[in-house]
Amino acid sequence: MRTMEEKAKALSDIMHHMEPQHVFNLGPVSIDTTVVNQWIAMLILFGLIYWITRGLKSRPQGKKQVIAEFMVQFIQDLLEPALGKKGRKYIPLVGTLFLFILTMNLLWFIPGLMPPTTDLSTTFGLAITTIITINLIGVINNGLKGYLHHFAQPFAALMPLNIVEEAVKPVSLSLRLFGNMFGEKVVVTILFILLPVLIPVPVMLLGVLMGVIQAFVFTLLTVTYLTTSIKGH
Amino acid sequence: MESIAYIGVGLAIGLAALGSALGQGRATAGAMEGIARQPEASGEIRTTLLIALAFMEALTLFSFVIAILMWTKI
Repeated sequence: MRTMEEKAKALSDIMHHMEPQHVFNLGPVSIDTTVVNQWIAMLILFGLIYWITRGLKSRPQGKKQVIAEFMVQFIQDLLEPALGKKGRKYIPLVGTLFLFILTMNLLWFIPGLMPPTTDLSTTFGLAITTIITINLIGVINNGLKGYLHHFAQPFAALMPLNIVEEAVKPVSLSLRLFGNMFGEKVVVTILFILLPVLIPVPVMLLGVLMGVIQAFVFTLLTVTYLTTSIKGH
Repeated sequence: MESIAYIGVGLAIGLAALGSALGQGRATAGAMEGIARQPEASGEIRTTLLIALAFMEALTLFSFVIAILMWTKI
């Protein structure tokens, strides 16, 4: 067992592991481990999707296509009660968000990699892209007048409140995902220094569960914001 | 004088955890009563409960992020 001084020194040593390290330079842009991990997650998703959709038949016979159809049905069950048949247009957007965040959150299982969602840049990029897309979808569906009108509901005095609410949405989405994953990383890392024998395993299982749940919550909130943007309050 | 700042960090995360624990306990109590009354609806109640817990957890995590920011600046 380590002494207290060794533990304190180890704690301050690992602090620099919590931050993304610089990997290489792509012209003037410096690439971090976060970006490389995102690329690895994208490659895993591309490989998986290519493998699953290789022999698509009209009547599924293997297990691969049934799993893929189950995924699509799952996203459709989120969209259809709120938006009806028109909701099918948005299955690619919502499904991609869900699968991408799920893959990134489960990147613990490859040794040596950390989920890129433990970096605020990733989650903030996802959140702000999603919110801008949702607002643009609102403008396309309802016209510019309708879009501005939906800020003045239920009555016009609440307009500043509605604008503030719209501005807070990216912050809350990104901080929720980032906080969960970063907190999990901090807890597991410190637990590995203090009690490395068997105790980190339940905490890591909890972290995996929270990663899956957070991916689902991000997707669900996207669907909710999409519904209010298309249909109004 | 910096040791007083550490008290601030501990207080931030402690109070946030307190509020979140109270809220989540209440939500779980309601969910368990619902499952006890109607075991057929337990799948849907479980899903709704998990989503509600994630929302309440998010508020604690906002405070956790602020605590980490304070801690690294001391």
